[in-house]
Amino acid sequence: MRNFIFSFLALILLPAYMSGQVIKGKVSDQNGMGIPGAFVVAGNVSADTDFDGSFSINAKEGDILKISLVGFESVSVAATLTPMTIIMKESKDTALKEVVVIGYGTRKKIDNTTAISSIKAEEITKTKVLNASQAIQGKAAGVQVISSDLPGSTPSVIIRGLGTALGGRTPLYVVDGMQTENINNINANDITSYEILKDASALAIYGTRAANGVIIITTKKGKGEKISVEIESFAGMREPLKRVKMAGSNKYSHYSNVALQSTTFSQDQPVNTDWFDEITRTGSYTQNNISISGASENIKYFFSLGNYEEKAVLNGLDYGRTTFRNNNEYKISKKLTLNQTFSFTSAKSKPKPLSAFTNAYKQSPIVPVYFPDGKYGVSRVGDDGFASETGSSFNNVGNPVAQLNFFDEQQRSVTLQGGLKLDYEIIKSLKFTSQFNGEYYTWKQYNFDDTKNIWLAANPNKVPSDYENEFPNDNINLLTKGREEYFNWNLSNYLTYNKVFGEIHDVELTAGIETSVRGPREKLTIARKNVNSNSNYWSLTGDNDYEADIKNYKDEVFNETKLASYFGRFQYKLMERYLFTGTIRRDGSSNFGKDYRWGNFPAFGLGWVITKENFMEDVKVINMLKLRGGWGRLGNQNVPLNNQSYTSGPNAYLGGSILNQGTTISSQIDPSLSWEITEESSVGLDFELLDSRLKGAFDLYDKNTSNVILNTKPYLTSGITAASPAHVGEVSNKGYEISLRWDDKINDDFSYWVGGNFSNNKNELTGLKNVILTQQVGGGLGNGQDTKMLDNTTVGQPLGSFYIYEYAGFDTTNGKMMYYNAAGEKVTQDALKAGTDKKYVGSSLPKSNYGVSLGFNYKNFDFSVDGYGTNGAKVYNGKKAQRFSGENIEESLATDFWTPNNLNASNPAPFNQVPVASTYYLESGDFFRINNITLGYKLPIQSNNFISSCRIYVNAINPFITQKFSGFSPELNGDGNPYGTQGVELDAYPTLRSFVIGANLKF
Amino acid sequence: MKKIYIATFVFSTFFFAGCADDYLDVDQTESISTKDTELYNNDAGAAQFVTAIYNKFLNWDMTSFGWIGLSSITSDDADKGSSPGDTGTDKDVLDALTYNASNPSAESTFIANYDGINRCNQALNIIPKLDKADPNLRARLIGEAKFLRAFMYFTLVKCYGGVPIVDHLPVPGSDSDRIMQLTRKTSAEVYAFIESDLNEAIAALPDKSAYSVNERSRASKGAAYALLAKVSLYQENWQKVIDNCNKVTGYSIVSDYASMFKATGKFDSESIFEIYAYGADPVKGIEGYSNTQGARGTGGWGWGFNTPSQSLVNAYEAGDVRKAATIIFRGQTLYDGRLVPNTVENERYNYKAYSSAYTNAWETDVDIKYLRYAEVLLMKAEALNELGQTSEAIPFLNQIRNRAGLGNTTAVSQTDVRIAIWKERRVEMAFEHDRFFDLVRTGQAKAAFEVDGKVFTEGKNELFPIPALFINQAGGLSQQNPGY
Repeated sequence: MRNFIFSFLALILLPAYMSGQVIKGKVSDQNGMGIPGAFVVAGNVSADTDFDGSFSINAKEGDILKISLVGFESVSVAATLTPMTIIMKESKDTALKEVVVIGYGTRKKIDNTTAISSIKAEEITKTKVLNASQAIQGKAAGVQVISSDLPGSTPSVIIRGLGTALGGRTPLYVVDGMQTENINNINANDITSYEILKDASALAIYGTRAANGVIIITTKKGKGEKISVEIESFAGMREPLKRVKMAGSNKYSHYSNVALQSTTFSQDQPVNTDWFDEITRTGSYTQNNISISGASENIKYFFSLGNYEEKAVLNGLDYGRTTFRNNNEYKISKKLTLNQTFSFTSAKSKPKPLSAFTNAYKQSPIVPVYFPDGKYGVSRVGDDGFASETGSSFNNVGNPVAQLNFFDEQQRSVTLQGGLKLDYEIIKSLKFTSQFNGEYYTWKQYNFDDTKNIWLAANPNKVPSDYENEFPNDNINLLTKGREEYFNWNLSNYLTYNKVFGEIHDVELTAGIETSVRGPREKLTIARKNVNSNSNYWSLTGDNDYEADIKNYKDEVFNETKLASYFGRFQYKLMERYLFTGTIRRDGSSNFGKDYRWGNFPAFGLGWVITKENFMEDVKVINMLKLRGGWGRLGNQNVPLNNQSYTSGPNAYLGGSILNQGTTISSQIDPSLSWEITEESSVGLDFELLDSRLKGAFDLYDKNTSNVILNTKPYLTSGITAASPAHVGEVSNKGYEISLRWDDKINDDFSYWVGGNFSNNKNELTGLKNVILTQQVGGGLGNGQDTKMLDNTTVGQPLGSFYIYEYAGFDTTNGKMMYYNAAGEKVTQDALKAGTDKKYVGSSLPKSNYGVSLGFNYKNFDFSVDGYGTNGAKVYNGKKAQRFSGENIEESLATDFWTPNNLNASNPAPFNQVPVASTYYLESGDFFRINNITLGYKLPIQSNNFISSCRIYVNAINPFITQKFSGFSPELNGDGNPYGTQGVELDAYPTLRSFVIGANLKF
Repeated sequence: MKKIYIATFVFSTFFFAGCADDYLDVDQTESISTKDTELYNNDAGAAQFVTAIYNKFLNWDMTSFGWIGLSSITSDDADKGSSPGDTGTDKDVLDALTYNASNPSAESTFIANYDGINRCNQALNIIPKLDKADPNLRARLIGEAKFLRAFMYFTLVKCYGGVPIVDHLPVPGSDSDRIMQLTRKTSAEVYAFIESDLNEAIAALPDKSAYSVNERSRASKGAAYALLAKVSLYQENWQKVIDNCNKVTGYSIVSDYASMFKATGKFDSESIFEIYAYGADPVKGIEGYSNTQGARGTGGWGWGFNTPSQSLVNAYEAGDVRKAATIIFRGQTLYDGRLVPNTVENERYNYKAYSSAYTNAWETDVDIKYLRYAEVLLMKAEALNELGQTSEAIPFLNQIRNRAGLGNTTAVSQTDVRIAIWKERRVEMAFEHDRFFDLVRTGQAKAAFEVDGKVFTEGKNELFPIPALFINQAGGLSQQNPGY
């Protein structure tokens, strides 16, 4: 058709070419395959190649033919009368060739108008961690990852700032089309691309689940002609990256004696226990993967089997994960392709309580792990000032070693995930795609609480019969078992139409429908007392009926949610340089009331490839320059709901002896409650300079969530005291992102790169409707002190702000800690008023974060370094703030505190009161950490050997950090909730340093 | 082949467009949806909504510490008690009448009564829809709910003056309902609303004798008449007081005053409306009621608040049996043989809150007798006297005095009889949550508090402050009471 149009045009313009001849030829790639659609230009005439790469053009012999095609390097040759054979090399310029996944389709990167960060497979597997999201930390501008090295934990991923206070914060993950919220089941080695959709114009196609960003993960497929086998194995050791130096026994005794104003503790202690040492070990982990892949004419196949095992640094904490994946692509006919994905993941873990870290921090070093008679050490002190079995108790901290030893829990889960995708080419430009994905999850757990023995361990002066005497009605042990399962699925059908009209109008249309179902999650929990001490006999068959031993039985089915959607996208490219994208999604969600369940999410994007303009032709230094921008509206449907329900709690006796059950409704429903809406405008500039050696991008965005859900207080006279969630808040995120990378090849033996990115985000609760909020407190320390709060006064503050008293130094006359009250006076904590004297002192979320990366390849060696840092976050030293009378202190405090003889000490006088939450315990969370150093060596093997490639490598993960925080780690994900324990170091797993050695073999 | 796909696609689009809305109707499984009214569409189900209202009276905020502070510690009958350093949050300022607009007890009592009113409105909203429940039962339950709603509005109007009248379930987002919830009505309007509820309750409720033994704590016709009489008393509508008192029939005063405040005296012939507490397992009583008022210190069993004042002790005439039935004196042996040692912190404690069987329990078997026949007689006497029928009034007064072991009153003139009746109300109903409001009603407050050594500011202390949070929410639709 195009040829026809061209011929027709040529015919009309024939007089101008009367003197010309017809030049014929074929354009092919390096393997001799014809390249269709290449653009052939001779002077002001042009043609393009047909399906097998052939062309004919009116030109004179000797004219220069310029042949170009996206993804290939342009070729200029002189025309000859004999049929020409022209070979095009694939372009080095990856931007022209690279394809990005955009949701229900792909797009050439150069034609994309939106902000998408693509992370390549090798970047994901380079850092040896379990979850792919942890590995991408610092590698994408505008994406903040807060992770923990606790095995099996899920990192928080925040894309372009947090837009919700109570709603779900997790981005939507789309794994081969399966829409899910967690990717702990995905083996990072199976991932071929990890794409982060960042701006609204890219995200709107995911509608009401897009406001937190979308991460599209594509797993590997078979390729090549013969079977290839790849084995990847590594083993590593892990240790805490930083430690906190605690006071030893004698210093502890001195400090505690001063605090108690007594001589309770001898200052010549025989025992000096380092509790941190006692509860930790050198961690180790290994991962082994084998994958088999290949392709024949009609089938591409990929099999992978992986196993990850970790013995964590906390004693007894083990984690293991086995994954299996099989992805096949069947070409059923010329027009019909079927893609099938399947993955099986089994994870097992032996969790241990992280409060052991806090207990190890607080427990006194004078307490032995075991007393000489073998009983666990306890915090009791005898008349001699030494720890003893029978003395008086001096703190309420348990023995951390006993705590870990007694804690007996196991969890196992199996996740099955997979899908079928059918692509049918109806006509040449029109493709129909039908995709079904499902996810089944099952989980089981037991926890055995050895109640009686735990009591005996804490009371070494008691004998077993004392327990029965003192607690005649209590259980001697308790077994809790849990089971959980769910099945989620989604089905999408869509049409894609792509055609170029009149050479210059490149149009792509996508339209489809989708449904997504999160099935009801079912959970059973049963707690039984007094089970057999031998775990083999916990669950006997036969006539055993445990009814009399059941302490607690829960049978829960959580609400099912459904989503029905329509979506459409129009992409238009004019003259290879002017780009337009428009998308619309219409979502209906079962979460919301009938009249409020449907919403529309439009977006558009514009792009201009400046370097394609004629006036740029002579600008040699700029290889690519693209300006893009867009606007879109997104939703977050994962918000707190107030399904109104009957409260049948209040029982009452009415007269005589009959129990009458009462029922009422004690919640107020806001029927208009629905998703939170985020609107974002953004602009970006992509550029490649100096022979594409310098590449970069700059992005600016302004995101506003206009109807943030917060808990409002119903009118007092409504009689409803439960908080009522309503659309009353407004949150703004404004920021910019810069990324730069320099790649250069000095010679065939040596190439290097250096790159970095920086992102800054200003987050703020900008407005509130005329309502009164229910105070939401969080970041509790477990001693009555909270560190965070959200209510009407929070307007103008970033989300996740700490709300505490301001420390004013100590009174040098008596060493007492002083605080500023609202009037600015220095007062002691007893004179503080919670209602007026607390202040907002910064958020646990950083204002900016940055990543750097550099590396080189020299002959068979490769070397790379990745670093990551954040600025502007605050962290709360929760374990230190929880410290109470008789508990240990840090070395720096034990040697420098106020006494009448040391008035100018750095620290206040010892105290026995629970300290109020204050800026005394608030520290800067700024840090810069080397996340990864890799050195690899590729053995010089001929590629036709049995082993075609072998690379061995050593890897140092988190080898160095510079931090201001005096605790273990400034990266504190906690429960992942900015109004929870995020940013509070309490019961926190430390960041680890790991050294890994591994090998990668290909057959 | 391609036609099939196009057809499938087009068909599924139609399917979506047509049925998507039904498809999205997912039933909740985590909690019982209010859509499933059918679950309660039977006799027992209907009754549950009214049980929830009664249950509110057992609540800490409704009937316990804050309410004790507001209705009793403020009065000249009681002192804060407890240890000097233990303020009981705000009981010190309540005792001294120096509370301000952010008084926690005033706030919690306001919220608790509106919580109860919500339960009434929920019951009144749903019970008419439960068409499978017995119509007679439903009519009675509606009557009970109306009586209870009137009772709570009476508490509110006594404490705060005119308050918003929430007479139906507010529809969120409705502007008229928002205004209803945020606009204070006048006292007169609230009284009119209470009377209308009581009149409807009277029409629907049975006599106390018609209830089975197990249901004697339910509101009866007599209770509604008695409350209507009291509401009329507060409005000085004397003839209505007499008329309604006359309709309270089937009751008589018991001979032994002290017996009414023991577990054995529940639902005796004098009791008209009583909050029932069940101390035995499973325990269900007024949360903390006995404990907060129990003797404090070594040999005691409670927090020691709300102690009888010297002024009250002085109010009893010699030979009045009610003194010993109302006040525990330390060093004394109680009726059940318990010795209250001299080591307890306060000289006197409230005997009417004492539980013999569950002395130090959080929820005990101590009831509150909110309406007694003795009060009906006193109301009748007061109304008759006010209407100039002094000689008809005196016998009722004497009936109460004689039962207490006292001789006939010596008062003769209308003025003297009025004072005698007021005084009789004080000693007869001490620690029954009436005294403070009675002082305000009768205009004796300023003088009475002077005797007690406290300053009652006229024009201010008649009413408690409306919670500051409510004034804030009202945003100009309602104003704070004068003086706060």
